[in-house]
Amino acid sequence: MEGIVATQARVIGALVLRETRVVFGDTQLGYFWAIINPALGTLVLVLIFSSVGRSPAFGTSFALFFATGILPFQTYSKLSNGLMTAISSSRGLLSYPLVKETDLLFSKYILVTLTYLMIIVVFFTMIILGDDAPLPARVEECATAFTALSLFGFGVGVTNAVLFRLWPTWRQVESILSKPLFFLSGIFYVPGDFPTHIVKILAWNPILHGIEWFREGYYGNYDSIVLSKTYLLTCTFALLLFGFLSERLYRKKSI
Amino acid sequence: MIEFHDVRKTYQLKGVRKTILTGLTARFPKGKNIGILGHNGAGKSTLMRLIAGAELPDSGRIKRNVKVSWPLGFGGGFAGKMTGIENVRFVARMYGEDTERMVEFVEDFSELGPSMMLPIQTYSSGMKARLAFGVSMAVNFKCYLIDEITAVGDASFRRKCDLMFETKLKHANIIMISHSESSIKKLCDTACLLNNGRLTFFDTVDDALAQHRKNQLA
Repeated sequence: MEGIVATQARVIGALVLRETRVVFGDTQLGYFWAIINPALGTLVLVLIFSSVGRSPAFGTSFALFFATGILPFQTYSKLSNGLMTAISSSRGLLSYPLVKETDLLFSKYILVTLTYLMIIVVFFTMIILGDDAPLPARVEECATAFTALSLFGFGVGVTNAVLFRLWPTWRQVESILSKPLFFLSGIFYVPGDFPTHIVKILAWNPILHGIEWFREGYYGNYDSIVLSKTYLLTCTFALLLFGFLSERLYRKKSI
Repeated sequence: MIEFHDVRKTYQLKGVRKTILTGLTARFPKGKNIGILGHNGAGKSTLMRLIAGAELPDSGRIKRNVKVSWPLGFGGGFAGKMTGIENVRFVARMYGEDTERMVEFVEDFSELGPSMMLPIQTYSSGMKARLAFGVSMAVNFKCYLIDEITAVGDASFRRKCDLMFETKLKHANIIMISHSESSIKKLCDTACLLNNGRLTFFDTVDDALAQHRKNQLA
């Protein structure tokens, strides 16, 4: 018998490839659109905001400021939302004994994260070339921030998947609850520009910390007054632990 | 080969509780082809999924020390948007088989021809069954779990399946569910009967069939 880890790695690899085909296989150029579509969507938002004469809250390029907020945010929201139905939409696959619920979650996580990594690379290249934006000051910080935020999205997504299974209405409730996050995560403003009592409230949102972290990495001189990496990492760890434990606990009640 | 130790399995769906197994302890003997009998809804397919490991019991343990197939005879794991070839490749990758060898095998066995390049959602149920059967025969298992597959396909395909079984059964065994007495008699050495949460083993297929018939009349 070969090692369990090797088998699961192989299964997850096969699932990732399969998922790419299932999700993007319908159209010509398939996966290309998965990258280009959100990138263009963000570009449209950038053009609208900059055409109404909004100047960036930080730096000289509005596109860059907006992108450093919206792209990490979208990574998070795609994960937290997409993972919710990762198990239920691939239920048929569970009849292969090799495929476990957690494999479906992991493969979805890997696919979404890699896709957004590609989007981020494509988009920032576009801005750097097109809008004369600076190169990232500390790439490794950006990468860590992105990873932390994606893992946070993973934790929320797994928790969502369990809640959705136990209570299908959760999907609707979650979509309402997560709506304000777009405005609360510091995507188009610098949290430090707000009065202290508002900043204190905003600081409860872990996603905001992820975006602040990403910006500190990208702009060499962006000093966030709220950023607590420990807070984001603690929330991430707690949610992952909670999510996977409850997944294990309620696995048998799946059907 | 496969051992059940005090396995309980129940379902609760919309407040209706269904018992599939009440504390089953049993050994599915090695080197025997076993038929599973039971009326519709007795839980035969669930028992099959438990044997495969695709489903977890409520309590108890299931041990398998041979390479067991997935329950064969459904296209549940196929993605409708993917072509036949892509679905084959997926299974090959998952089981660590050579993808191209497997595609070749399935193409040859299922005789789907150019349809292999079309998305599965365009297939008829007979075509899907051909593909599903081809895929599972392409992987070398020690124990094949067969859920009513012999009921699908046309006469020539069924002949082909029988031939394939004959070759496979030299090195492997099957556990099968079937409502067809003749196919159970043909392929199985022994049979067991699932009734009211209990699984009873019989020495011969005929004994099991006799008891099954009696249960159905009662």
